[in-house]
Amino acid sequence: MANESSVDRVEAETFAEYRGNGGCVVEEHADSGDYDKAKQKSLFCQIFSVYLKEDCGKGNVRPIPVVLGDGQLVDLYQLFSLVKENGGYDVVSRKGLWDSVIVELGLEIHFLASIKLIYDKYLIGFEGWLTKTLDLEKEFRSLLCLNLKDKDDCFVPFKSSNIIKHIDLVNQKIDGIGDDDKMVTDAVKEEDDCCMEISAEEFNSRKRKRESLSGMVHWTRHIAKHPIDPATVPLPEPSKWKDYKGGQDFFLQLLKARDILSVRKHAAPGSGSSSQKVKMHPAMYEDPVALGHQSSKKLRCSERLPVSVKSRCSCCNSFHGNGNKCSLEKTPAKPNGVSEKKKSAAKPDVTEKKKSAAKPDVTEKKKSTAKPDVTEKEKSTAKPDVAVKEKSDPTSDDSREKIVSVGHRFQVEVPEWTGVASESDSKWLGTQIWPVKDDSKATTETDLVGRGRRGKCRCKVQRSVDCVRFHIAENRMKLKLELGSVFYRWRFDQMGEEVSLRWTAEEEKKFKDAMGLNIPSQNKSFWNKPSKYFQKKTRKDMVNYYFNVYLIQLRSYQNRVTPDAVDSDDDEVEFGSFGDGFGRKAIKHPYMEFMECSENTQCFDFE
Amino acid sequence: MGSGEMGVAESDGASLPSIGTDAMKRRVTYFYEPTIGDYYYGQGHPMKPHRIRMAHNLVIHYALHRRMQINRPFLAGPEDIRRFHADDYVDFLSSVSPEILSENSHSHYRQLKRFNVGEDCPVFDGLFPFCQASAGGSIGAAVRLNRGDADIAINWAGGLHHAKKAEASGFCYVNDIVLGILELLKVHRRVVYVDIDVHHGDGVEEAFYTTDRVMTVSFHKFGDFFPGTGHIKDTGVGSGKDYAVNVPLNDGMDDENFRALFRPIMQKVMDVYQPDAVVLQCGADSLSGDRLGCFNLSVKGHADCLRFLRSFNVPLMVLGGGGYTVRNVARCWCYETAVAVGVEPSNKLPYNEYYEYFGPDYTLHVEPNNMENLNTPKDMEKIRNMLLEQISRLPHAPSAPFQTTPPTVQVSEEEDEDMDMRPKPRIWNGEDYDSEDDDEYEDEKASIRSSGLTAHMRRSAVDMEEDKPDVKPDVHSSSSS
Repeated sequence: MANESSVDRVEAETFAEYRGNGGCVVEEHADSGDYDKAKQKSLFCQIFSVYLKEDCGKGNVRPIPVVLGDGQLVDLYQLFSLVKENGGYDVVSRKGLWDSVIVELGLEIHFLASIKLIYDKYLIGFEGWLTKTLDLEKEFRSLLCLNLKDKDDCFVPFKSSNIIKHIDLVNQKIDGIGDDDKMVTDAVKEEDDCCMEISAEEFNSRKRKRESLSGMVHWTRHIAKHPIDPATVPLPEPSKWKDYKGGQDFFLQLLKARDILSVRKHAAPGSGSSSQKVKMHPAMYEDPVALGHQSSKKLRCSERLPVSVKSRCSCCNSFHGNGNKCSLEKTPAKPNGVSEKKKSAAKPDVTEKKKSAAKPDVTEKKKSTAKPDVTEKEKSTAKPDVAVKEKSDPTSDDSREKIVSVGHRFQVEVPEWTGVASESDSKWLGTQIWPVKDDSKATTETDLVGRGRRGKCRCKVQRSVDCVRFHIAENRMKLKLELGSVFYRWRFDQMGEEVSLRWTAEEEKKFKDAMGLNIPSQNKSFWNKPSKYFQKKTRKDMVNYYFNVYLIQLRSYQNRVTPDAVDSDDDEVEFGSFGDGFGRKAIKHPYMEFMECSENTQCFDFE
Repeated sequence: MGSGEMGVAESDGASLPSIGTDAMKRRVTYFYEPTIGDYYYGQGHPMKPHRIRMAHNLVIHYALHRRMQINRPFLAGPEDIRRFHADDYVDFLSSVSPEILSENSHSHYRQLKRFNVGEDCPVFDGLFPFCQASAGGSIGAAVRLNRGDADIAINWAGGLHHAKKAEASGFCYVNDIVLGILELLKVHRRVVYVDIDVHHGDGVEEAFYTTDRVMTVSFHKFGDFFPGTGHIKDTGVGSGKDYAVNVPLNDGMDDENFRALFRPIMQKVMDVYQPDAVVLQCGADSLSGDRLGCFNLSVKGHADCLRFLRSFNVPLMVLGGGGYTVRNVARCWCYETAVAVGVEPSNKLPYNEYYEYFGPDYTLHVEPNNMENLNTPKDMEKIRNMLLEQISRLPHAPSAPFQTTPPTVQVSEEEDEDMDMRPKPRIWNGEDYDSEDDDEYEDEKASIRSSGLTAHMRRSAVDMEEDKPDVKPDVHSSSSS
């Protein structure tokens, strides 16, 4: 047994990994009553993150965390377990139980479609993957036992197999079969043991007795690190591997593992287990042409495999060549890989990317670079990968992710050029708003075109909110004079803080309060059902008020009190990220005129 | 390459004869739908139509409307949208609404998935009218150009380049660009589409992937980035082979490097393909500090693309696109409107209703930040060479044989740029050109001038390296203005 500290360390690392890798939302669990649940959840997160990584290498990117249209986070674990409890996706759909699932999740009913979509995209494939992984685990275990029967122990459990055990447990748990918390706790313990095993191995522990598999791993790693080490017995040509009989025990073992795994891999596409993973419901493909589209889209994904594979599975990373999942994925038999891609094409994940770009902290790349708490080992492997990625040649074929679809469902019909121009309907010219008359005054005042504000003014406190408001009003007057009715046709009367004139002080306060509460579920109903809050306001009024009054007041506060904090997109932050504490400071701020202007104290509560 | 060379090449047969040597004045039409700012994708969604209202507000406060005609677009009907989009998709878009969705019917759910409507492309109140206004503006812009009523037509509500024939994508539902180009093709034989959004212009490229009547050129971030298409070797299929140009770029792209690719490539495209009209998608997410983008362009660097294309005197449609830091989007599109009408606006923003959005500096321009540029010179050179070679493979425009006689009037676009800030049009002589780099290139320029046009055509990538110093004078002139 290794000493206590190494166990602790590993545990700490493992937990750090959950957060870094999975990106699952593991809530802080201070309360000991929730501890088991949290543990269970973190297990789910870990397993799910392994799945995500594996799947992402095949080009199916699914951003985490999952966010609904209104910015609300979706708890995948909760969703998964709820659906499982109710008998799985098909049963829930057939019996129309989605309503209750939504309610249990604490969401509004109109998110039903989104939630179903999310389940489809994230969790259906996950289910299939779990099943497949379990089968694989059994096979691999029997293989190793077979080969190592002369040794005293069967084999050293290593982490990935352990994860699979956890999957077992989680599954049972979720299925409601074993509602026994102890099991999970045991599983975690067991995992700790195995992690210890690994760490011991990494720290050159003296576990000679059980060196069997770890020995092979060690040996393989050594070969990989020192390919031309004179101490290494030269390996035979690949063509002779098939008939290789002996000499190198480890090598033989490795070859056997390789065989099994590659057979498995080759069989997989046909057996469809991997395609189940991401396949949507057949309804999605009811259009045969669309099917072709989906598939061709993904044709090239396999080519990216070698790059993403490395950073995929952090737990196996330190065991290059030790088999199981990692080496399984590292055997990208190309032709098969391609056909597999065809099957596993999933539509939405691609568009997802944009979203994930919206939250830089969850993009793949960032994940591997910015992960603060990666283990020593991973740091050293992950970093170079990223570098390779970024430096990779954009002109090489390998970097191609998708190809352009061709067919009548994609291209527009472009008529041949006849040499004769055809007429355009003049309706398209729309309504000319400016100049009002064709003999406009456009020529008269050209000297003012492009002019900005003048340097100084006579306001008491320059650049104060009052000063700015005064000059804006001044400019509006001038504009109104010049534009006449066009001022209203362009809706200048509905721009800027004047919009607030249509709101009563009470309504304004209510709006700001609601924005300040900043509880996603509240916000959602706040935006979608304004009637609940305001008798006479439509959603449009709310949006208008938000952009024309609320944000402007917020920004005018920021500009004066925290000017250094507006470098990013503060004016568009989700309301969840507003800081606190500024409110009190602001009250003491010398710009008293600012106090007058923003009669709402609420806005001080936001950064 | 000295700027003089640009001038030589620029007047190469692509100009509108009606404009003559007056490089300054362009008749500009601008489409604006006054209700556009009221559309709202949903809380926390980065796409905010409000930015178009903010841009319009700045445009008017800078009094740029005095140099333009401003129209309210005619809303495109479902029939018009069907000219590109699939019937079932248009039916869906025109009928869907948040209320209908809340009814939870299974068929809706299937359709949402099928048309990729949901997360990125939510169903929001007024979704279809929003698409109608965007498309109507771009078709209107095309018609203005078709009729010869305008030299430049602007629609900031357009440029939604990700929308596919039967699928929404990347915040885009209806591809106004494809519809606008289809309209242009009624009158113009060949159209070039240029896309400087940080995302690949996949919808437009796909729509015209098999035709040679539209050449698409997209400059975009490539590699682990939405939408994933736009590989340099994706060049078109069938008769469209080589008529799709993709310029894959990396994070941190700055003004200088962008220009060093944009100008030579577009020069070559204009020379070889000789389009009758140009459509420029000005997605502002390639600006520094964009919420979704990863480039580092300044507003000036971004607008330089428009400035350059404008100098060819070909009917030009200017569209919006991405852009998710709204204050910078408004800045950028306002400045580009000014470039279109030939005005250099003051950097001090006029007081306007959205003034506080632009604090604490309240300036029109924003400085790029000091992020690292991951585009290595080696990559740049390789990309440039590959693409110039691809474009060279194209047959020269059949109806307009390649012009070999040096033109008599050499109007440089640099000069064009200068002229815009000056009261009177003048011909380039270099005297007032404020640059210490100028001398170094004096000889170079002279030799180019004497060698004439064809020499330029043969010189390709090698010169372009020398194009970079050109950026500096630009910066100088800007700081002095």
